[in-house]
Amino acid sequence: MRLRNVLRIARWEVTKNAGGIDRRTLAVAVAAIALLGLIAPLAASGGGPSLDDGLYHVGVDDDSQYYDVVRDDDTFVVRRADRAALGDSVDLLIEGDDITAANTQKGEAARQEFRSSVQSYNNRKLRQEVNATAAFPVSVLLEYREQSGVDSGLVDQPDGADGDGGAGDGTGDGDGGTGGDGDGGDGDGGTDGGDGGTGGDGDGTGGGTDGGDGSDGDGRDDTGNGSGDDTGDGSGTVDPGDSGDLGGITGPLSGEGISGSPADISPPFPFQSLVLAFVFVIPMNFLIQAYGSTILSERINRRGELLLVSPVSRYDIIAGKTLPYFAGAMVVETAIAAGVFYLLQGQVGGLVSVFAVAPLVLLFLGATFLGAMFARSFKELTFVTVTITVSLTSYAFVPAIFTDVDEIALISPLTLVVRELQGEAISLGSIVFSTTPPLLVALVCFGLGAGLYREEDMFAQRSVPGRVIDALAGPITRRWHVGVMTAVLVPFVFVVQLLAIAALFALGEIAIVLLLVVVAITEEFAKSLHVYAAYEHRRFERSVRGALVLGFASGLGFFLAEKIALLAQLVGLEQLAAGEAGLSGGVAPESGPILLLFLLAPLALHAVTASISAVGASRGKGQYLIAVAIAMGVHLAYNLGVVLTYVQ
Amino acid sequence: MSSSGARWPIARRDLASLSREKTIVLALLIQLFIAAFSSFLVVGLTSLYDPSAIDDGAEIEVAITGDAEQQLLDAARETDGLETVSYEDRAAALAAFDRGAVTAVVSAEYAATDSGDRIDVEAVVPAESLRTTLIVNQLRELLVELERLERVDRAQFLEFQPVDVPGETGGSDYFSFTYTILIPLLLFLPPFISGSIAVDSITEEIEQGTLELLRAAPVSLVDVVDGKAAAMISLAPLQAILWILLLRFNGIGIDHIPWLLALVAALATITVVVGVLLGLATARRRQAQLLYSILVLLLFGATLVLPEHPAATVARLSVDSATALTFAHVGGFAVLAVALAAFTRFYVANFDPEAL
Repeated sequence: MRLRNVLRIARWEVTKNAGGIDRRTLAVAVAAIALLGLIAPLAASGGGPSLDDGLYHVGVDDDSQYYDVVRDDDTFVVRRADRAALGDSVDLLIEGDDITAANTQKGEAARQEFRSSVQSYNNRKLRQEVNATAAFPVSVLLEYREQSGVDSGLVDQPDGADGDGGAGDGTGDGDGGTGGDGDGGDGDGGTDGGDGGTGGDGDGTGGGTDGGDGSDGDGRDDTGNGSGDDTGDGSGTVDPGDSGDLGGITGPLSGEGISGSPADISPPFPFQSLVLAFVFVIPMNFLIQAYGSTILSERINRRGELLLVSPVSRYDIIAGKTLPYFAGAMVVETAIAAGVFYLLQGQVGGLVSVFAVAPLVLLFLGATFLGAMFARSFKELTFVTVTITVSLTSYAFVPAIFTDVDEIALISPLTLVVRELQGEAISLGSIVFSTTPPLLVALVCFGLGAGLYREEDMFAQRSVPGRVIDALAGPITRRWHVGVMTAVLVPFVFVVQLLAIAALFALGEIAIVLLLVVVAITEEFAKSLHVYAAYEHRRFERSVRGALVLGFASGLGFFLAEKIALLAQLVGLEQLAAGEAGLSGGVAPESGPILLLFLLAPLALHAVTASISAVGASRGKGQYLIAVAIAMGVHLAYNLGVVLTYVQ
Repeated sequence: MSSSGARWPIARRDLASLSREKTIVLALLIQLFIAAFSSFLVVGLTSLYDPSAIDDGAEIEVAITGDAEQQLLDAARETDGLETVSYEDRAAALAAFDRGAVTAVVSAEYAATDSGDRIDVEAVVPAESLRTTLIVNQLRELLVELERLERVDRAQFLEFQPVDVPGETGGSDYFSFTYTILIPLLLFLPPFISGSIAVDSITEEIEQGTLELLRAAPVSLVDVVDGKAAAMISLAPLQAILWILLLRFNGIGIDHIPWLLALVAALATITVVVGVLLGLATARRRQAQLLYSILVLLLFGATLVLPEHPAATVARLSVDSATALTFAHVGGFAVLAVALAAFTRFYVANFDPEAL
């Protein structure tokens, strides 16, 4: 690969590419985005109509004490209290103090909603009381603290909030928590106790944007200071729990303590992860559309032929075509990171965030490159890009939901961004853990795609599965290549398993079994798909002996590469039962002979199952599928056995 | 305008190419993935909030200290799922918390203010635990109850008498999520994808040069565009039916199905028209797709100014809470769709294909 060639192709890509974005398009796009920017604050402030407006019809007479509650909450539509209409045009019937819900799911849901509506109505009304102490007789300060006697298996330094647990802060917080007496300044004191100067900032916005509502969504608003916020009644229409507003976002970001009246305390919900996922990932989706187009357009009408016959290597071409998009994406992401930091913390920062997002950018580009090499037409490419968007967005987002569970959250690189924003210490181990898998997968995608970037494959019209087979068989010419190829596919397996852990672990016991199923399926395919591809491409003689050799090579390759799983131990992922099930290959007990057994048993397992599927692969498609199913069964049985022995 | 029958073979051809590439299967898979993903999210998250999710019905042990201890104990008696343990002082309670003997520490002290005593509560809950959500939720119940009892005691100082809060019931938390988020999402995705394929379908013919060939055949450009658009528009309600049936099969009742399908068809017409116009105007896939995704996002954002958001329209229709306003919105979208389709035909009829 020569830098000069790469840069020249990159320049062409920017300036001369046939599918380049012209000025007119750019102008329209910029205008549209500017308009979107105008709408965004409206959406963020919840100024538009809410989604659950008018969802339930409530029958109530206007002399009922609940009449105002129902009228003030847009979720309800006021109907006449008519018992005959219950279950038909009325979901909830209020007669005097009697509340009857229709005997449907909807009726029950309406009753639940009504209950919280009454609570927030009371709080809203009481906020106007002269005697603030009688109206809000209880003021709460909630603190999150590490239990040292309870093993939670953390390697990282605990959150900033844990550091402030001292008694001195305790009293400081007590003062701060006096939201009830209507002094805004006190509120600040409380947050300072929580998390230094940044906490104060977060508090300012939190209180400002939704101080008036009785919402429990915002961790930090000082709704307790009733007299100060009387006028906030207008914003009181925001439902409890509906905290997608700015206060809800900045609140949790600025620290961990919560103070206010009892209705204000709420469990940590990761709005910041949600917002960050969208802020950082949405530009990616526009980017990969353009990138996929440029790659595919090389393949349409043999346009890429000219570059292919020129005296540059295909790696130069790919690197050159990718470079502008990667650079552009990094510029955008850096700007976003800097902007987010400036907005939320009022200072320059975000270096770690940029590092954390880079592998994600590469992953998007790599997957799109491979997708564009697979797709036959633009229509197909559209579906491939949508698939990539959906699956990678959930990869970035799902683990980040569980921000309070350290090990799971770190699966997504976005967690690093959240951590940096919160001003927490980020260990090198956690950076390596969350960025390595996406980086490796991105490289594998580029590698497989590059294998197809040849005259004979590029312009051939083949179905997507056919192309997958081509891509896998491409690099295999000798038997030991099979083992290498298996090792190369391990990052894929790793990422899928991590995502499965994140998605399933909340389910409890059953998660382990489900996870073992996922493990068996992904690992067996990773060990055998390229073997099947190689046979389809007639790389090897179809014989049982040959197949056994290939199976052993594949199993060995997998066994060695799986030691990447050791990475997981850096952050203690295996402390989690589900994590252990997923990555059991990396766990070793202490004593000698058993250690040997534990080292050899997985090797034997992988070799045996890979051989089963390799023999099947040597006999055609139908036999291969049957053999893989058998191999998965064996694998699952082994894993279940191991887990059961561990448990006892 | 030549034979109007020519558009049907074109529509059939486009649909056939989709099914040959099996991309439509991929589209359905994507939607299934999103549906599964969002319901997982909801079920997973609500199971974190649900007290019955605690193993073996074990209760949360809360250490209670401070001068307002008795008030807390009274409130705890009214709250389910909590077991209280009294401690001498805060330090002892925190030590027990640190050992893991109790799950949370609540200390309540009286503090004097200008208008009487207030109870200051300091609560400590475990950081970084899966159960934190649940614990905080339970503590909230406890403290809200404490607040309620205190308010009753101080009723003579209040001008407004709080309305009685109805008792807790077993209503599902994700009922409204299903109708306000999940169903709208599943019904809006097909129109979005249809428009995107319309862009591809037009620009592909232009870029590959096959539009020239089609024009050599005895069909007008209007027929070609009509056929392609009809194929894409028809796909969206079909997918919608599939989702509606699937949801009904899962015990989620959906009302007003014809209205919902009409809305989906109208939205699909709008997105497809946008796609077709962009495809013809730019003649390049990359530009057209980029503009399409931005414009559709913009249009979707612009619906915020409507009295009723389209997602709310879908929610009210499917949950059987539709009002005249809801039906008016569906009608409005239908009229807009027809008008846009007529405009597009007019635009295409006057379009000079030589300019491509």
